[in-house]
Amino acid sequence: MVEITGFGGIAVNVWLVWILPFIGAAIIAAVARAGIKIRDYTAVGFALASAVSATTLIPLAFSGNEVHSQVNWIAVLHLKAGVLGDPLSVIMANLVAWISFLIFVYSTGYMHGERDLTRYWFFMLFFIGSMQLVVLSDNLLMLFFGWEGVGLASYALVGFWYTDRKKDFVGTEGHRAGGIAMWASPSHAGAKAFLMTKAGDTMMLAGMFLIFAYSGTFGFKELLQNQGWAVQMAHQNLLVPAAILLFGGAIGKSAQFPLNEWLLEAMTGPASVSALIHAATMVKAGVFLVARIAPLFFALAAFGMTQFFEVVAWVGAFTAFLLASQAIANPEIKKVLAYSTGSQIGYMMMAIGIAGLSTNFVDGYTAGFFQLISHAMFKAALFMGAGALLHVVGSRFMSDMGGMRKYMRKTYIFMFLAAMSLAAAPLITLGFWSKDAIFAAVLGSGYVHSLPLFIMAFVVAIMTAFYTFRMIGMSFFGKKSQHLEELEKAGHHPHEVRPVVWVPFAILAVATIAIGVVGFAFGAQLQHIFSGYLANYFGITQQKQLQLLQNPATTTQLVKPLTETKLFLGLNPYAAAASFGAFAIGGFLGYMFYIARKIDPQIISKNFVTRGIWQFLYNRWYLNSALYWGAVIGPVAIYRIIWRYFELTVMEGISHAFEFSMASFSRVVKAGQTGITQTYLFVFGVGIMIIIMLLLL
Amino acid sequence: MAESFFLLIATFMPLLLSPVAYFLGRRAGLGAVTWFSFGVLVISTGLLFVPASMLNGGRTVYSESYPWGQFGNFGLRLDGLSLPFAIINYIWFTVLVIYSKPYMYRKIVDEARSRFGEGEGTESTSVGRGTAYAADADRRNNTSGIANESGSLATTTIGVEEQRYVNSQLGLYFALFMVFAMGTLGMVLATNLIEFYVFFELVLVPSFFLIAFFGYGLRQRTGLMFFFWTHAGSVVLLLGLLSIGFFAGGFDFSTIRAHVSQIPAQWMPIIIFAVVLGLGVKLGGFLLHPWVPSSVAGAPTPVSILLVGIATYGILRIWLDLLGGNYVQYSLYINIWGLATMIYGGAMALMQDDIRKVLAYSTISNMGYILFGLGSGSVLGVTGATLLYVTSGLGKAILFMMAGSISLQTGTTSMSKLGGLAGKMPYTAVLAMIGLLTLFGIPPTSGFMSEWILFNGVLQTGVHDANSLRIALFGFGMLTTVLSSAYLLWMYKRIFFGKIPQELVNIRDSGRYITITMAALAGLTLIIGVYPDPFLTPITTYIQGMFHNSPAVLPLPSSGGSGIAVPLAKNIMFKSDNRFSSNAVPNSAAPMARINSGGAFTSH
Repeated sequence: MVEITGFGGIAVNVWLVWILPFIGAAIIAAVARAGIKIRDYTAVGFALASAVSATTLIPLAFSGNEVHSQVNWIAVLHLKAGVLGDPLSVIMANLVAWISFLIFVYSTGYMHGERDLTRYWFFMLFFIGSMQLVVLSDNLLMLFFGWEGVGLASYALVGFWYTDRKKDFVGTEGHRAGGIAMWASPSHAGAKAFLMTKAGDTMMLAGMFLIFAYSGTFGFKELLQNQGWAVQMAHQNLLVPAAILLFGGAIGKSAQFPLNEWLLEAMTGPASVSALIHAATMVKAGVFLVARIAPLFFALAAFGMTQFFEVVAWVGAFTAFLLASQAIANPEIKKVLAYSTGSQIGYMMMAIGIAGLSTNFVDGYTAGFFQLISHAMFKAALFMGAGALLHVVGSRFMSDMGGMRKYMRKTYIFMFLAAMSLAAAPLITLGFWSKDAIFAAVLGSGYVHSLPLFIMAFVVAIMTAFYTFRMIGMSFFGKKSQHLEELEKAGHHPHEVRPVVWVPFAILAVATIAIGVVGFAFGAQLQHIFSGYLANYFGITQQKQLQLLQNPATTTQLVKPLTETKLFLGLNPYAAAASFGAFAIGGFLGYMFYIARKIDPQIISKNFVTRGIWQFLYNRWYLNSALYWGAVIGPVAIYRIIWRYFELTVMEGISHAFEFSMASFSRVVKAGQTGITQTYLFVFGVGIMIIIMLLLL
Repeated sequence: MAESFFLLIATFMPLLLSPVAYFLGRRAGLGAVTWFSFGVLVISTGLLFVPASMLNGGRTVYSESYPWGQFGNFGLRLDGLSLPFAIINYIWFTVLVIYSKPYMYRKIVDEARSRFGEGEGTESTSVGRGTAYAADADRRNNTSGIANESGSLATTTIGVEEQRYVNSQLGLYFALFMVFAMGTLGMVLATNLIEFYVFFELVLVPSFFLIAFFGYGLRQRTGLMFFFWTHAGSVVLLLGLLSIGFFAGGFDFSTIRAHVSQIPAQWMPIIIFAVVLGLGVKLGGFLLHPWVPSSVAGAPTPVSILLVGIATYGILRIWLDLLGGNYVQYSLYINIWGLATMIYGGAMALMQDDIRKVLAYSTISNMGYILFGLGSGSVLGVTGATLLYVTSGLGKAILFMMAGSISLQTGTTSMSKLGGLAGKMPYTAVLAMIGLLTLFGIPPTSGFMSEWILFNGVLQTGVHDANSLRIALFGFGMLTTVLSSAYLLWMYKRIFFGKIPQELVNIRDSGRYITITMAALAGLTLIIGVYPDPFLTPITTYIQGMFHNSPAVLPLPSSGGSGIAVPLAKNIMFKSDNRFSSNAVPNSAAPMARINSGGAFTSH
């Protein structure tokens, strides 16, 4: 373990990774005057530069080194700003940088001809700069700067088409559930995203403040070095609440239950923005935060952090289930992908949560991060492909597509490849290996409730395969939709998109397969890096863990792992069987319904029960309705009552009374000013008499 | 006797030159009077920076003092506490003078039109009228007339009669504005209770006239209402101040500080109640706020910005600094009051349709945040509240300027008549967004810097005392930030997003006087947001020193693991930190005595 501190050498590159996009954002408006092309290339250039400086850090990650560079910031509070380039953040930074770069390239084609692109580029650069700040900062406060920057950028980009044209809406217009409109305009969606993540952020801040109150620092390294704060907090039973509050920020940002609803409306932004939000930035910020703090909290496991990890695992598992089930019933291609993101992130959370509950932290941790990497790649590809589809078809509904594989051969192929990763097609896709790693981590954890978690994960995997096939089938297979025929009649023939649009997602789609073929080796390498990282910096090794978990202070009941870790081809056979099985079941159903079209999906509406279930899923479990009634309509109704009966009646009344009394007082006083000397003398005399009488008494 | 007069000149130059501004306005018109007032305020602000640079991060004090008969000394003192208030207020005044140039001109010309009967036909359709005014006021001044784009109003040149009226009104406005500036600064720099009160009252006079002469709606009534309420508050305050002086045997701050123990214990709560109540009216605290919405919404934009809030300084100085010791005892009530104000202001802001009203209630809500921090009972919380005065003021200023800009361009501030302006008024939209973010505390704007410090302080006390009520208050306070973002984002959405109404399709962005002044403040909020030290260091240092002798107030958390739960940490703090130990305890009681005796420039 070698630490390089200070500004010299490679530390500059770490700073550059996040500063470069900000510089780009700052100058983009000026550059735009030189011409549209130059502006676009500048933006892409800055993304590339940031990616290149991230790449220079890779040797660091492999050698297990760390760069920690600090500058003075808020002197009175002894706070320093700094960057921390350790294996975790370097891998993440590279992932973010290169996927963002591809999305930027895609944007130059996809957004071509749109108005106000300077704003678009500004926020895109701001977005990746903020995300890299989240990734690389060495303390929670600075991380929060990036955190909010990400939120702000997503607010601006989700609402990019702020004029609220009908075609930019999401949801089926006119569809209401529980009295709440289930469609949303871009500006509405942006505000919703902002406010819901803000609700999470308040929790995160509360957690940060609690820790700061005890430790006097926000720095990750400092928190780890001197653990006196944790002793005190644990003593007052505040450590777990603080950790869970911090996780609250991740719940908001990563759209986990109960703050999951914003992610679905966030589809009003351009597809490139959705790709960025879902693959590299925003929602991944939450996962990254958990990945950042989890080893720290695990290292504090002696203080009984089990409940924290339990919360993480169960929130993740439930969200995975919730959103996968909703994805089955949604008619919009981008929304299916959005549900899928939430669900996949649930997997990641579950994996990291189970890591903290298991005898082998590194397994779950690696599995979660592996899932993050694979998801980032295939989801970016899928969103970009979906964007190409939307662009050509001019509709967000999959029922308006159909048979598109004939027209958009390349988009079809590459989306299919990426979709196979999402569905976790065995052995050759990246998604398979990461999902398998999660299954193996759950099975091998020895956590007392790992069986229900595993069953949930398994069911989610079936649903995932099903909705993936459904999405591919509905958009690329079957007959041409009525919408497409009308388009053709009007003279718009669907055609393949330009290379600048399809090449970026082709690269990612091919990469998911290319890495997938050697997926187990990739996973093993990742595991190697992380076990070094966790051992060096957090002292988390297998023996240490057992020791910690057997500490009487912890509440975990260790049981025998559900499966013996007898490895077959580097695989846990039970996990592998589950992965195969899930793909087979979900894939088969999806294939029969939507690709081979042997069974008509309409049958579900014939049966009372299935129709009910479908309605329930389509209406998003009525969570959105509950959210609006509980958090918007209810409070506003109360405020209105206060407004009407308190502010306008009581307060205004007081004000009027005050005014009136002043006026009457003035009238009384004025009445005294008669100007008649006799009156004055009379009053004067009476006054004198009273005084004399008082004195005599 | 006195070697330097920086503060004296900075304070009184605007007052002495205000008649000049008036006559300049009458004779030479808009340009001359604007630049004259601007020049005066720039020089005054510059003069503030000279002693400010000697403050050495708030560890020393600069003061000027003159004998003042039986009241004691008339002094002007710049220290870590008055520095942020003084500087930021003069920056606002200076910037707003420029902003007033197009804004007040338009307002007064409208006035003149309706008064001299030309605009009778157009008076009823405010929106249509607004579009006609879309051109730059500045250009218009030169050409004295405007080619009307929508063709609904053919404006000819302004008549001689009207011009005279406009000029005299302009002169009056700028003169009053400068008196306003002087009163504010004097109040902040005062070193004597009577002096404080005199300046406090002096602020009322110009602000009353500014509302009554230049406001919106039923402005004379609004002005009177403002005057009644704040004056009633002032009377209560005066009673409090007089009893402090009576018991302490003098009105000088230094005397009071030295003899604060002579105030009988049974009188202390009454005095504090009077002071807080009196200042609370001016602050617009919950239940004392009825004047705020009408006055703030009814005042001309530059005045709305400056009307509420300066009483924060009064509470800090007179209660926390001078009467110090018993602060923690009552802090919880202030905390609760602050939370109520926060939520109430935010909730009521959601109900409004007029941008000015939203911002007026938002002002109330922000004052709630400040009270919330002042009631935190910790150094961090009070520091945060003080910094929040600066930052929320910046955010509020930008948003009020946005409201003014919109009302200039569209002729209305009713949100139901607006929409989709982001494309038409891009600069205003961008700058307003920065103001918005400042108000609800999103980094990298300065709002976040103050808010996190403030909330941190509140939580700290709650955790330290293991007081579940305080922790609950903290939780609700955090949730209120969501409410704040909600009403502001909703306002922003209704103004700038969505479909643009048919009447507004020809709108253009405001002229450079408006956008550049907004940009200046927006730049400032970004700078403070990333690098708060210039403001934060003096404030923190001073407040730390202020509570040095009251162990019940939580100090800053020390870094390096020894957290707040260890009571010893308080003592360790000052010993281990050599910045304080070498230079003795920062400027509390000791330096005051010196200032009192010698006067003039004291630094130690």
